[in-house]
Amino acid sequence: MKISTRKLFAVALAVVTFGAAGFASAHHSFAMFDRSQEVVMNDMEVVRWAFNSPHVALYARDSDGQVWAFEGAAPASLVTRAPAMNGFTFQPGDMVDIIHCPLVDGRSGGAVGIVIKDGEWYGPNDGGCGAGGHRDAWRDWVSKGYMSLAEAMEAGEEMP
Amino acid sequence: MKLTTYLQLFTAGSSLLFSGMAFSQRGGNIPDLIPFPMEFETSTEHYDYLLDYYEGGVVHDYMSVPKWEGLWSAGGDSGIRGQTMFLDEDGEIIPGVLTPEYEDAFRYRLDLADQAYNAGVDFDRLTTCEPAGIPRWFMEPYVREFINTPTYSLWHNDLANDTRRIYINQEHVNIDGTHFAVGDSIGFWAEDEELGDILVVHTEDIYPGDFFRGTPPTSNQAETVEIWYEWWDAENDQMKVAVNVYFYDDLMLQEPLNLVYTYQYRQDMLDAGLRIRYWECAQNDNTYLTFDEEGRPMTQYRLPGEPGYVDPRGASQTRNPDLPPGLVGQEKNPVFDDAFDFEF
Repeated sequence: MKISTRKLFAVALAVVTFGAAGFASAHHSFAMFDRSQEVVMNDMEVVRWAFNSPHVALYARDSDGQVWAFEGAAPASLVTRAPAMNGFTFQPGDMVDIIHCPLVDGRSGGAVGIVIKDGEWYGPNDGGCGAGGHRDAWRDWVSKGYMSLAEAMEAGEEMP
Repeated sequence: MKLTTYLQLFTAGSSLLFSGMAFSQRGGNIPDLIPFPMEFETSTEHYDYLLDYYEGGVVHDYMSVPKWEGLWSAGGDSGIRGQTMFLDEDGEIIPGVLTPEYEDAFRYRLDLADQAYNAGVDFDRLTTCEPAGIPRWFMEPYVREFINTPTYSLWHNDLANDTRRIYINQEHVNIDGTHFAVGDSIGFWAEDEELGDILVVHTEDIYPGDFFRGTPPTSNQAETVEIWYEWWDAENDQMKVAVNVYFYDDLMLQEPLNLVYTYQYRQDMLDAGLRIRYWECAQNDNTYLTFDEEGRPMTQYRLPGEPGYVDPRGASQTRNPDLPPGLVGQEKNPVFDDAFDFEF
């Protein structure tokens, strides 16, 4: 779907009308991520959690041995989210499920939306992936076995 | 007489008619704009006027200088993020704000972004770890600290380690003869009947920049006059630091802009143990400017193992090439050493 920049700014204007500026913007654009897709990856083994500015990065290995890289928001934002995250939240060897917005060009990476560890749902996302903004919907969709936003939509679910 | 009352007398009939007042105040609860007192030819004239008005200001010592330590983040502004000073509610460029050349440049930028993949702003000059600089420094959402001393203030935005230095009761000095991302800033403290302690700042010699990604470019003629003060946001029961920015740029603007930014105190971040760390550009460097097949700029992302990838933690590929390979203890961070040997 193509949305004009002008319309985006008009939407942004409406958004900021109702809320103070937060941490919803990064230092770079999110053009490389496909924000229209939200994809579930189960049983990912954490190999590194880089908790540094400007973006945290989560590296995790899939069951085929392929390591994926996911970008999240700034540490300053993550320490005040619920649940809060810090530099030790994810450690090598942790098994997690990840919901992310993939890189447009199909390489092994994306923008992280949600990380599920030991039943806890974390939202380290930045503007590159909106999944963290509708965690409650994803709790429902995951319980129904959907592996992507597209699957959920095709099944008749509604975006919150 | 209160400054605002004094200024309001001057504003009657002013041709500027408070350019910023034309923009509704958006982005959270913010204080009213402080109008231009009159039309000034230059920002220096404006600053000198305020210096005269406040009779040279007051000199603080370490005990009396206002203390703004702690962590702060952006707390609402007069619509800068939404570009209310440049775009109307339909997203069309407001005529008469920008000079013709800069309006054309803004239109070019918007049209290019419209064509790009996400039809958003697909490139941001900060991608390559360029500092935000003025005026973007004012609204960056990351954490900042305000350290005031009697002789200078150090205002640190953790984004790209972008620190402003405000030299109190001094003159501009530019022995380098060049411009800088945050320019050269001088200021004086004063006591305003309505606002309380204020710090008036004048900044010049600024790099061309922007207010945020996708906004019109500012030029190397940009200068600011700023009035900083503490502001109690009664609606949110929250202390804020506010700044009224008068933004001058003869190449960019037909008339100076009047803007307000606020910063909210972040006790929650302090409670969480957050400390400002050095901005690690190694992470930042993994995004880079590229061009699509049509030649349009966009941002791309390097993955570990790809040429040019810089490891944000762990062994550096570029540090200390004059040391023996494999020297123990040279990783940037020892915490997750055992995880560095994975293959991509």
